[in-house]
Amino acid sequence: MKVPMKWIRAYTDIPVDAETYMNKMIMIGDGVEGYEALGAEVEGVVVGRVLTCVDHPNSDHLHITTVDVGGEAPLQIVCGAPNVAAGQLVPVALAGAKLPGGVKIKKGKMRGEVSEGMICSGEELGCPPELYPNIWEKGILVFNEDHPLGADVKPILGLDDTVMDFEVLANRPDCLSVWGVARETAVALGTAFKKPEIKVVETGKGDIRDYVKVEVRDTDLCPRYVARVIDNVRVGPSPKWLREYLFGAGMRSINNVVDITNFVMLETGHPMHAFDLDMVEGHQIIVRRAKEGEFITTLDGKQHVMQAGQLAICDAVKPSCVAGIMGGEESEITEKTHTVMFECAVFDYAATRLTSRALGIRTESSGRFEKGVNIRTPLEAMQRACQLIHELDAGDVVPGVIDLYPNPVPEQVVTGSCRRIAQRTGVDIPPEEIVRILESLHFGVKRDGDLLTCTVPEFRQDITVGEADLSEEALRVYGYDHIPGTLLRGETTPGGISERMRLKNDVTALLTGLGFCEIMNYSFVSPKSVEKLGLSADDPRLNMLPIRNPLGEDTSVMRSTLVPDMLSTLALNMNHGNERAGLFEIASVFDPVHRTAENLPEETRKMTLGVYGKTADFYSLRAVAERILNALGIAFDVEKYTEPYLHPGRSARLVAEGETVCVLGEVNPATRDAFELSARACIAEFDLDQLLRLRRPMGTVKPMPRYPAVTRDLSLVMAESAQVGPLLKDMAAAGGSILEHADMFDVYRNPVLGLNRKSVAFSFVFRAPDRTLTEAEVSKAMEKIQRVAAEKYEAVIRA
Amino acid sequence: MGMRETIDQLRETLEQELNKTDSKQALENLRVRILGKKGELTALLRGMGTLPPEERPAAGQLINTAREKFTAMLEARQDAVRMMERAAALQAETIDVTEPVPPLPLGSAHPVNLVMNEMIDCFTGMGFEVVEGPEVELDHFNFELMNIPKNHPARDAQDTFYVDDNIVLRTHTSPIQARTMLSRKPPIRVVCPGRVFRADEADATHSPVFHQMEGLVVDKDVTMADLRGTLNAFAERIYGKGITTRFRPSFFPFTEPSTEVDLTCAACHGKGCRVCKGTGWIEVLGGGMVNPHVLEMCGIDPTVYSGFAFGIGLERIAMQRYGIPDLRLLYEGDVRFLGQFR
Repeated sequence: MKVPMKWIRAYTDIPVDAETYMNKMIMIGDGVEGYEALGAEVEGVVVGRVLTCVDHPNSDHLHITTVDVGGEAPLQIVCGAPNVAAGQLVPVALAGAKLPGGVKIKKGKMRGEVSEGMICSGEELGCPPELYPNIWEKGILVFNEDHPLGADVKPILGLDDTVMDFEVLANRPDCLSVWGVARETAVALGTAFKKPEIKVVETGKGDIRDYVKVEVRDTDLCPRYVARVIDNVRVGPSPKWLREYLFGAGMRSINNVVDITNFVMLETGHPMHAFDLDMVEGHQIIVRRAKEGEFITTLDGKQHVMQAGQLAICDAVKPSCVAGIMGGEESEITEKTHTVMFECAVFDYAATRLTSRALGIRTESSGRFEKGVNIRTPLEAMQRACQLIHELDAGDVVPGVIDLYPNPVPEQVVTGSCRRIAQRTGVDIPPEEIVRILESLHFGVKRDGDLLTCTVPEFRQDITVGEADLSEEALRVYGYDHIPGTLLRGETTPGGISERMRLKNDVTALLTGLGFCEIMNYSFVSPKSVEKLGLSADDPRLNMLPIRNPLGEDTSVMRSTLVPDMLSTLALNMNHGNERAGLFEIASVFDPVHRTAENLPEETRKMTLGVYGKTADFYSLRAVAERILNALGIAFDVEKYTEPYLHPGRSARLVAEGETVCVLGEVNPATRDAFELSARACIAEFDLDQLLRLRRPMGTVKPMPRYPAVTRDLSLVMAESAQVGPLLKDMAAAGGSILEHADMFDVYRNPVLGLNRKSVAFSFVFRAPDRTLTEAEVSKAMEKIQRVAAEKYEAVIRA
Repeated sequence: MGMRETIDQLRETLEQELNKTDSKQALENLRVRILGKKGELTALLRGMGTLPPEERPAAGQLINTAREKFTAMLEARQDAVRMMERAAALQAETIDVTEPVPPLPLGSAHPVNLVMNEMIDCFTGMGFEVVEGPEVELDHFNFELMNIPKNHPARDAQDTFYVDDNIVLRTHTSPIQARTMLSRKPPIRVVCPGRVFRADEADATHSPVFHQMEGLVVDKDVTMADLRGTLNAFAERIYGKGITTRFRPSFFPFTEPSTEVDLTCAACHGKGCRVCKGTGWIEVLGGGMVNPHVLEMCGIDPTVYSGFAFGIGLERIAMQRYGIPDLRLLYEGDVRFLGQFR
């Protein structure tokens, strides 16, 4: 909220510069975004009187003037404005003057004639007509009043103030007002807050009830409604001080009546509305919920259809104002307005918010109601407005006030212990100091030993939890700087991370050691990205949790699989010309069908790996996948298996304890096309929560072998289609208990082996824990191994 | 020629030959020639039979001494030759050690996780336990128990993604705190890291998905000073010696009193620079004393216990620490960026 310092100074002193003031306010909890000195860019512009004005001999539009700026001799200034004339009092930028936008004025010649300065327009000085009304629409600014020659123009134009931009905290709507800010200022600077004395002079005839009948039907949404009537309204321009205040606060001056409502809103925090009472049908105001289909044309000329339940201020037949949000065009104040009804009401914050959102109208007023307008103070705001009506001679205040306030909120009292108030802050604030601070904040304080009984000032709405609030008030004024740093006391706790996090860390360490980079993607995707995987219609991954209010289609559902994002990231790296990439992502996926006991979608922590590049192929990625499982102590088998997005001949799964723990393979060419992958890539998927379940601790070490091992190699020729994995597993089983280790070490392909045949070389290591093996034992085991290879796989020793 | 002279001559021959010999084989040949069964010295021994018996012992002595001497000479030369041969072999095997090697790719954890893990180390060292919770969360835990009722103006600032009226994408990791308080008894010391969501369009400083770490301590007599002490320790651990905190009053619905916490600008150590816009401080986190109403809603008696809580945005810390100019880089996945983190 922007507030000119002049306005704050009207109610309290500010004996420090703007910078110090800002910092003091920040340190007591009133945020300040910054401040701006109005007219900071204007320098060396003074009042001058045009003495003579003749046409320039070499120009069809320039004039040559002599201007008295209070110096020894008048200046000659060439001026192009059509409205310049002798006798005018004007702003003159002297040689060396500065104007907004970094403009510097120099003495020079224009079309051969010396010009010793510039006569300025309002625009050139950064002074819009709302701030200083100028009778001329175009051309130089001409002062309406007399001023001494040579005087600085900035105070005359209201360009001599500094505007503070306050960042009011959500719990302090009272500070969305000049009074609120001034009260805090007084506390921050140790000065006194002087509220203006409010006296209403009633010059109107009769009583408000002769003019209007007000009825509030929905007191839940409008718990208080205050109205007064102004007769013989004299709509006109506002005085200079009022225009300056509004300009500094970032509002445009419209006319005296509207300006008064805006002024009061800014000063007190109470939004007001002015109705042209003659346009209110039946001279009747009814505050009620709108009926379905009722419509209203608002001040901005837009027509809105209201929904049943939205609160409206209606006349006898129709809505005349969207409560707390925007007034209707029909009852708007115009030059012809004769009688005005002022409204200063309180509307429910939640209802205002919902209606504002539903109708798509946000105003200064609706914003304030959403943040909470004080129910205890609208009458004071109304009286302030009526006082100004009289003081500005803008109309005659009609006697009588309508104040519909069926359930007055009682005075709020909170209690607290001085000891506990201070204890919570960790600062030894003496009880006398606590009392002094609370009193400076306008609390009514009674102290009985350690116990404080405090009456909360009526303008505060944020004192809701009692003692803790008092702690905060005491601490923020005493100074957050006083908080010492102490270490935690009491019973110690062991701390540490969960097994689930440990698994994530272990896998991350392993993969980064193998050269993989971790990626992070958003948790939401386009459903199309999952559909592009070509899954069958009944695949559970097509059930995705939709977000009701997504940013866009491409982030509209929660991920059911990490695969599409991995594919997109691989594609991005290919497109960026990166020769290789090894990536992994660990993140949750969401299942909207399976719900937890709390009815939340089931969340599972998954991991994907993705690789491409010269050395990246199915086998190298499988080696990584196997490395992960081995590191976790999970025994597994490899099986042929595929997914629609994988190459059917180059995909597999790893199975442990009957569960699929990893699916991996080369990306299907069709999927590559869909995700715009320009090269081959392989991916693998894991379920980390499943790995957590299957993870086995290492246990104790095996004894070191004491007897020598016997190694035998075996080269077998078999059909290309025979799977080496199962063959090796069967041979290992056939080797019996003395077989310590079996491995494949070479695959050889040559036409001499026969069509579609391969030769595979294995090595077998035999050892017994308790003796040296005999030749016979090993040979017998090798026979069994060869038998199973021959019988089950037609794999035979090469002839 | 006497025996002595013959032996002397033989030694001279051996000496000369040895100096010329530079291979193991030649040495062996020389050994056989002199000391072998049919060698020249052996022949002398055999010729002893021709000597008078009284001279034999002395001659035998001479020959044996010579044999020992010759053997030592041969062995010495053998050692020398072995060393020469090894040196030659090493010379022959010399490679260009500066030739580039095929690099092993450098992997990296995500910068946000690097920061998260460092912070976890810091807080677990202080006795905090790390707790996680669901990312798709009940409105009840995310808002209601955090003292933010429906249509509360504070919800505006949160820009929440909704699944339905009761389920949201969590806007902070605070719901984990609520769940922790509901399921445990004090003393509670936890940190809750995780992914959170706000309906912000992505730009250089905003992201609809980001990460937070919140901390919660509930015990008897916990104060704002404990919060400050804990965060001072955190600041020194993460940012280095001399980095401390500045508290500024603030407002959060779930804490009372609340504070914004600035840390000494690590770039200029508080002197004022471009990074901190001349103030010497960087705004890093928020916190405060847990609102007694929140404690009560979470089943903890606020007249017996008090607590503090704080929350830190991890992306912001990562960006400050690594000088990352645009938040979107973190979610793009380009290995040229990710590969830089060690």
